[in-house]
Amino acid sequence: MEILNDMLLYLPAIIITVAGLIVMMVDAYTKNATMIYTVSVASLILALAASVYGLFGPTVDIFYGMATTGGTAAFGTALVVAATLFVVVLSREYLTSINHNFAEVYTLILFGTVGMIVLATANDLVTVFMGLETMSIALYVLAGIVRDEKTGIEAALKYFLLGSFATGFFLYGIALLYGATGTTRLADIGLYADAGLIYWAGVGLLLVGFFFKVSVVPFHMWTPDVYEGAPTTITAYMATAAKTAAFVSLILILERALPLAVEQWSGVLVVIAILTMILGNIVAMVQNNVKRMLAYSSIAHAGYVLVGLAAGTAAGYSAVLYYLLAYTLMNIGAFGVVAYYERHKGMQFNSVDQYAGMGYKQPFMAVLLGIFLFSLAGIPPFAGFIGKYQVFAAAIQADLIGLAIVGVLASVAGVYYYLRVLVFLYMKEGTEEIELTQAGFPYRSVLLLLALLTIYFGVLPGGLSELLAGFHQGTLYSGTPLP
Amino acid sequence: MPGKPANDKPTYDEANRLMELSAILFYAFTVLTVGSAAYMVFSKNIVHAAFALIFSLSGVAALYVLLYADFVAATQILVYVGGILILILFGIMLTTLDFTENLKTVTVNMLPASLLSGAVAVLLLYVFFAAEWTTIVPADRDGTMYDLGMMLMNEYLLPFQIAGVLLLVAIIGALLMSTRHKNEP
Repeated sequence: MEILNDMLLYLPAIIITVAGLIVMMVDAYTKNATMIYTVSVASLILALAASVYGLFGPTVDIFYGMATTGGTAAFGTALVVAATLFVVVLSREYLTSINHNFAEVYTLILFGTVGMIVLATANDLVTVFMGLETMSIALYVLAGIVRDEKTGIEAALKYFLLGSFATGFFLYGIALLYGATGTTRLADIGLYADAGLIYWAGVGLLLVGFFFKVSVVPFHMWTPDVYEGAPTTITAYMATAAKTAAFVSLILILERALPLAVEQWSGVLVVIAILTMILGNIVAMVQNNVKRMLAYSSIAHAGYVLVGLAAGTAAGYSAVLYYLLAYTLMNIGAFGVVAYYERHKGMQFNSVDQYAGMGYKQPFMAVLLGIFLFSLAGIPPFAGFIGKYQVFAAAIQADLIGLAIVGVLASVAGVYYYLRVLVFLYMKEGTEEIELTQAGFPYRSVLLLLALLTIYFGVLPGGLSELLAGFHQGTLYSGTPLP
Repeated sequence: MPGKPANDKPTYDEANRLMELSAILFYAFTVLTVGSAAYMVFSKNIVHAAFALIFSLSGVAALYVLLYADFVAATQILVYVGGILILILFGIMLTTLDFTENLKTVTVNMLPASLLSGAVAVLLLYVFFAAEWTTIVPADRDGTMYDLGMMLMNEYLLPFQIAGVLLLVAIIGALLMSTRHKNEP
């Protein structure tokens, strides 16, 4: 009966897998778009409830130690499922308006989410790999569903080729680590402080694979083109859910498999974080395309997350989790509003000049975009500020003062390009005649909910911060039930 | 082990000779694998490259046999050599002839690429020679399939199931990318 018990603890992934299969069958037999959408949303709500319940459950290893529950893994699961839910609701209206509302999109999103959950709960390098690949293959296809635009095909092909290349690095890293330690179990690898050069080569290649997936400098080249070419709500999915899953998995690996090598990987992460924050922010400043600007901004945000990881402390890990939550909320929101503007003039309608004067046409949407951009810039009282504060505070506690200073300076520079969009929205005269239609009720409510959550977690971070801090204070297998 | 008379156990000398024989076979198949892989990379003709890949993957299958992983070896031949490569060849041959003839690969960014791959190669060679390898003679046994089945249904149950989802995603993705949707503009 152990398997049944494990399955119960793994309920979110199982619900979504079953829903993906149902969506496939519905598509094959009835092609009822409403039913497909309803099944997807209902399953995601159920899975979200199950994963939030799991947050307060015990931290145990399941499936013979292949996966783990509770704590960081449960938080990653809940965040990924919530992000997917928002994206699915936004996608329906957006994809319908650009004539690409295929049933396969929902199947792929659901199965991709399964991959992300597997990745975020993995406790063995084999599971990490399976989750990463399931997620990636779903994303390669989703990036290219708009095939009649050149940019869509370019996005899919670029993502696929570079992604496969990164997978090769990742797999070779796993192989070398297995060669050095004789195991793929994270906790067993963690018993080794140094297993010779082969161990370090394995760790290095493994990290390179992850750096590619979370797009940090110098492994970021694919990001702007892919984010620009993919349909905007799918871009939101790639930028939030996929990155969250990869970062949560990275936390589990760093914390469980490499706790004794913290000095070495912390040094690497410091360098990568500095490069990422500086380059991401500087290149974002000169972008005229809003989607491309958000792509570079997501690179910069991956840099801030690395600041928290580089600290290598319990405070750092819980700060990163909080940051991922804030980042997910505000980024889906920002991409959601961009998708709303875009659908009136087709997929090329993204230039910041074209946004001129739009602030007064649909004030509700413009105000929401303002909230998300202020939060992305890290201005209080929004969640982005608390996230950045916690991450930098963790770095300072870990004596990485220089890193924190670079981070603060970089995020001050970032304010420029976020506010530039608002300047165009409100303070410039529009040249083009454009009628903005009202967005549908679900679309508006999701964006409003995201904005309210952004404000809520910016004003009252206390409860969640305590919960997250609790994940990392005990020893790894304490199994203490959380509050 | 069933079906093995006790006096059939090889003596020490015989065991040594067997080891040498398998070492010779190992190096022969390694040369085959790496050689045809290199030919595949450097060949400018896509048909030649596909054929070279067949030899390379067959060589890998032979290496699996030397590791007593007979089931994996059979799967390797069945899936890679028999399935995927024949598909690639069909794909090349069924497309129009002049398209295939003009389909030559070009090399760009020669210098940075060779510097980077040279650096990685040096690193890996250094790792290979610096590492203290412990050599284990694989136990001679039958029934790897039984062990494999038990492992897939026990320890590796989760990755095994997720592999199913992965393949499903790949099939759906291939269909979506290759067929034109009816309500697509």
